[in-house]
Amino acid sequence: MASLISCPHCGTRPKEEFAIRGDATPLRPSSMASDEAWHDYVHLRTNPRGRVREHWQHVAGCRRWLVVERDNLSHAVFSVTDAATEVDR
Amino acid sequence: MAYDYHAVHALDGTIGAIAERRANHLAVHRATAMAMVLASPGRVPEAAGILVANGDFEVRFSGPGEWLVLSEVHAPETLAAELGVRLGDAAFVIDQSHGRVALTLTGPDAARILANGVAVDLHADSFPVGRAANVLCHHISVNLARTSAQSFDLVVMRSFAEALVDDIKVMARSHDLSVDFATR
Ligand SMILES: [Zn+2]
Repeated sequence: MASLISCPHCGTRPKEEFAIRGDATPLRPSSMASDEAWHDYVHLRTNPRGRVREHWQHVAGCRRWLVVERDNLSHAVFSVTDAATEVDR
Repeated sequence: MAYDYHAVHALDGTIGAIAERRANHLAVHRATAMAMVLASPGRVPEAAGILVANGDFEVRFSGPGEWLVLSEVHAPETLAAELGVRLGDAAFVIDQSHGRVALTLTGPDAARILANGVAVDLHADSFPVGRAANVLCHHISVNLARTSAQSFDLVVMRSFAEALVDDIKVMARSHDLSVDFATR
C-alpha cells in the first residue's frame, strides 16, 4: 500500500480505496455540439508521461469524486480536490 | 395467502456459545437502530446542527454532508421517522437498521487488531475518541468509529458481516479474542 492519496474529506488513504475514471482534462461539449466535437470528447485521448489530472472516486471512503493531479511516472501527488469545486472553473 | 415472516440476524448460526470472554472481545449487536442522513443541497450546517443538538443520536461521519446515525434511545422501527420529523426537508433519511450490522471491538489490543486490516492511523492522537470514518478493512467497506481509548464500533453492510467477522478473527490471531452476540 505504498501509493497514498490525501482525500480532502477523509485524510491520507491507500490507493486501494479509490477507483480511477481517467483523464479529467476533456470538457464535455454542449449537447448540440458537432459530431466531431463529441467524437473528440468521447474517444480521443493524449497519452502524456509526467504530470496528469485524473478523476478518482473515493469509493471505500466518502464516495466523492476527486480531481487528482499527479505524476504518472513517479506517482508524486501534487494536489487532490473535490470535483464539485472544479465545476466553476 | 398469508406468510409468516421472522427476522434472522445475518450472523445467526455462525457465532456464539463461547466458554468465556477473553481480553479482547468482539460484540455483535442484535438490533441496532441506524439510518443514513444526507443533507439537502446547501443545508449541511443546518442538518449537522439538528443532529448534534439531539443527545438521542450518535452521529458518525460518512462523507461531506452525509452521516450514519445510530441510536440506543430509538427503536429500529422508529428512528428513521424520528429523524425525518426533526430534520424536515433539511436532509434525506434512509433507514439502515436491517441493512447493516453493528459490531463493537473492545480490549487492550483493539487498535492493534484493527491495524492488521485497516490502513488508517489509529493512534489516539490522530484517531481520537469520537472520530469516525469510512475505511476499507481488507476489501470490505466499514464505518469505523472510536468510542473509547480501547473500543471501536464497526458498521458493515449486512451481507458482508460474516466475512468481516472471519477477517477480524484472522487479524486477531496473535491476540486473545472472543466473539459473541451483545447481551444488552
Ligand atoms: Zn474521501
